[in-house]
Amino acid sequence: MQSKQDAGKLPARMELGRRRQSGWLHYFANPGRFVRFARPVLPWLAAVSALLTVTGMVWGYVFAPADFQQGNAARIMYVHVPAAWVSMSGYATLALCSFFSLVWRHPLADIAAEEIGPVGAGFTFVCLVSGALWGRPTWGTYWVWDARLTSVLILFFLYLGHIALVRGFESRERGYRAGAILALAGVVNLPIIVFSVQWWNTLHQGNSISLSGSSIYPSMLYPLLVSTLGFYLSFVSLVLARMLAAIMERKTSSLLLANAEHDA
Amino acid sequence: MIQHLDPWTFINGAYAVSALFLAGASLLAWRRLRRASAHLTQAEGL
Amino acid sequence: MLKPKTRRLYLISALLLGFGGATAFMLVGFSSSLTYFLSPRQVVAHAPPVGETFRLGGIVETGTIQATQSGESLTTRFDVTDGQASVPVVYTGILPDLFGAGQGVVTIGAMTPGGVFHAKEVLAKHGSTYMPRDVAEALKKAGKWNPKFGPAPGPDALGSSS
Repeated sequence: MQSKQDAGKLPARMELGRRRQSGWLHYFANPGRFVRFARPVLPWLAAVSALLTVTGMVWGYVFAPADFQQGNAARIMYVHVPAAWVSMSGYATLALCSFFSLVWRHPLADIAAEEIGPVGAGFTFVCLVSGALWGRPTWGTYWVWDARLTSVLILFFLYLGHIALVRGFESRERGYRAGAILALAGVVNLPIIVFSVQWWNTLHQGNSISLSGSSIYPSMLYPLLVSTLGFYLSFVSLVLARMLAAIMERKTSSLLLANAEHDA
Repeated sequence: MIQHLDPWTFINGAYAVSALFLAGASLLAWRRLRRASAHLTQAEGL
Repeated sequence: MLKPKTRRLYLISALLLGFGGATAFMLVGFSSSLTYFLSPRQVVAHAPPVGETFRLGGIVETGTIQATQSGESLTTRFDVTDGQASVPVVYTGILPDLFGAGQGVVTIGAMTPGGVFHAKEVLAKHGSTYMPRDVAEALKKAGKWNPKFGPAPGPDALGSSS
């Protein structure tokens, strides 16, 4: 484990984060500490995520009962709904990281935002495709331009825009700044997605689960919850793994740079 | 006349897309992490 | 003099609030065009001009479905209701799996001079209640069926998928 002796080897901006240790937020925002915390946790987290995801999906695909109205087609719910929730929560996390990045200039928030983008876009893609495949046998169409479907498509484009913007600048800092502004502006889309089915007439049905309860029968709700937990933990595992890799990549390039300067 | 589609084609498609994404993303992340870790060890040995 | 990060905190929070507020105003302003379909009540109150395409959505009124076969094509007549008003619809073509009495539908088409909605496309809209079929039948038998769940299972629901 090289992470224990990484003090003094971090790139300049990370070093800056190390000196401002005021409050718990700053404590965990330190990349070195993040590596020491996340590295041992990751294998366990990934194993639990895989177990829950597979359990939830097999439960939904094989064992959950068919719906009284939609029949077997309702089984698509066990992948569509978790993917939808994760894509929205992922975007909320991306926006939160962007906020920390803009206000407190946390280097770890920038790395998190950069790595959340592609993972979140993937989950949104799964949500859109599984939703289209659910729509055809039930509604009679793959796609309509109602407020719910359109706002989720916009979420997908926000993710894609963020991916491109963060990586599209000569200077990394500028990319992070631009990406953070886009991510924060796009936050208005989240309440629109959630409440679109209440505010306007949509072809998409209303929300089955709200703070006041659920309109899903328990034998169908339990596999949905297991699958949802699995998808959430998978998202966290994927982002953690990518963040660890990103921090190591940065450390490597700064080490190589320092070596090259030393040799010159 | 009501159209009767076999829902399983669509169910299989949705589950396949989800499983492929999860497996693919995990594989990519794992390979990248392994490579980054190896490169870092190498650089620290210099 | 504020610290730079405090200044950034206020600035970004103010920008977010402003942007959110502006979006909210825009959404309220464009609300009518964000609505995917009109209800029979809206159509009866201000019927869109004859021949102009719009979407009509509601529940297929029980006992109004009439199918007539002519050669290859099937024409279906039914009333779409929202409980307060209803609009007669005529549609030629294949209906989606879930179509049936008491089921939600969204139809795309235009009014004809006779006051009948001529649909070019019929989509099924289902509810957000999920339960196994035996539970649905038990609820119906016990007289605890809430119409909000969707059409009750049984012979009167044409569209329950097999």
